Amino acid sequence: MKKTLSLLVATVTAAALMMFAPIPGASQEKQEAKQKGGKGKGGPPGGDQYGPYYAAPVKPGEAVGRTPDGQPDMQGFWTPRFNQAIFEVQDHPTAQPGIGPGKGAIIDPADGRIPYKPEAAAKAKELLSKQIYLEPEAHCYVSGVPHAAYQQFGYQIVQPAGYVLFLTEYAHTYRAVPTDGRPHISPNVKLFRGDSVGKWDGGTLVIDTTNQNGKTWFDMAGNFTTQAIHVVERITPVDSNNINYEAVVDDATIYTQPWKIAGQLARHPDQNMELMEFACVEGNQDLVHYTEGVGGKAKEVKK
Amino acid sequence: MRHYAPVVFSLIAIVPLAAQSYKAPRTPDGHPDLQGIWQVLNTAAVNLEDHVAILDMPAGRSVIVDPPDGKIPYTPAAAQQQKENFKTRAKADPLNVCYIPGVPRVMYLPFPIQIVQTPKFVLMASEFAHTLRRVFMDGTKHPDVALFWIGDSRGHWEGETLVVDTANNLPDTWLDRSGNFHSDALHIVERITRTEPDILTYEATLDDSQVYTRPWTIRMLLYRHKEPNATLLEYECNAYLEDAAKERK
Repeated sequence: MKKTLSLLVATVTAAALMMFAPIPGASQEKQEAKQKGGKGKGGPPGGDQYGPYYAAPVKPGEAVGRTPDGQPDMQGFWTPRFNQAIFEVQDHPTAQPGIGPGKGAIIDPADGRIPYKPEAAAKAKELLSKQIYLEPEAHCYVSGVPHAAYQQFGYQIVQPAGYVLFLTEYAHTYRAVPTDGRPHISPNVKLFRGDSVGKWDGGTLVIDTTNQNGKTWFDMAGNFTTQAIHVVERITPVDSNNINYEAVVDDATIYTQPWKIAGQLARHPDQNMELMEFACVEGNQDLVHYTEGVGGKAKEVKK
Repeated sequence: MRHYAPVVFSLIAIVPLAAQSYKAPRTPDGHPDLQGIWQVLNTAAVNLEDHVAILDMPAGRSVIVDPPDGKIPYTPAAAQQQKENFKTRAKADPLNVCYIPGVPRVMYLPFPIQIVQTPKFVLMASEFAHTLRRVFMDGTKHPDVALFWIGDSRGHWEGETLVVDTANNLPDTWLDRSGNFHSDALHIVERITRTEPDILTYEATLDDSQVYTRPWTIRMLLYRHKEPNATLLEYECNAYLEDAAKERK
């Protein structure tokens, strides 16, 4: 039972920490590492020093290898480097409850902000004011695309023939990208994770994602999506330790122009690590912690 | 004659495989190719044992092949607990609050499972709540750090058969909707064989000395989804649970 308890505590605590400590800090890093308990060798005793908010150091690697079926080999564990996009995808110089000031990941437009139409900007502002209740990941919903690319706790890439798979620790889930040339599924089917189809364009994996259900956000800050969202990601391994990532987001219903995010994935230094199980639904106390933290409204949302 | 006894015993044990002549195509690294989208056509998710129908729970035959009576060999106390679980299942079934189903339950839910293989892993992805089983094929051992909702699975090949050993199971999962259960002492050995081009024969032996008097074995078939547009969609259980709660208000 002791083992059981510690896992539950780790799950709940990690979720709570995530909410309360948006700004990376030394003490949080230590605690996060202790709670999360990375399993590999290497790293400091008791855990993984590259927790959810910490970019693994960029280390030059070898030339990119090939999988048996000839795809550029990206397999392994990756830590996203997208500034503070996990909290808010656009530049956010002003602190909000639960969201510290920081840079996002938008490189176009140049001001680093989402080019909302006025009514959409108003909706995002409204959602931001209620994000402690509404943020989809606080409800353990799986992330949409491109949010999945800067997913907290990073992910493992596996490339069986005909697929690129992203296995995330968060909510113990997966994202499957077929690369066999199949078309998108019917537009009648809308999914949290959308429908992704990929193809290799030279050394770049190009992933086209449609069919999202409009229930996911880009971040914790109310930047919402609609079912009209269309995302094209370009994922380019530059060497065995580094991957460049870009995504163009288009949705004529809420934006005045397509916009682009960029970031890097750095190979996790411990290649013997194994993903743990972030059992989100099973240990979820986020809404309780969230609301207690801002005035004791937990009972209103507790089921 | 005494020395013939073990021979007879092992003959019985290998009959199901000996009867099998089909040899599966191989993956590039030389192992049987089990890849594809699969699903059971039975009511094991309702009840592993023989059961008559009740509302929303169709009737079905036992999938338990050992012991021969098709019943789970519970200790008396555990049998009592199962009855209690059945009565309170609406609230007590972990799947009703959308928890990760655990092994072996995830294998026979009424949701498709996609199997993909790499030299290091056999991955089994269920449509139910994006649940993923990662079966390590690299000879590594179960970790000694934690228990998991989906357990910890390490596998190896025995000829045509994928043999998966699963330990580190949290005690909080159930085996079916009828409250059949286990403890954290549960140890599972699954044997998965592609016995025909479009059929996997699935067998799992469950050992748990805290609740069973002896190990017991289930066996069933998984059928390949052959529809040209077959693909895993999603069942984001907890999101729908919230939607349903809102509708009731």
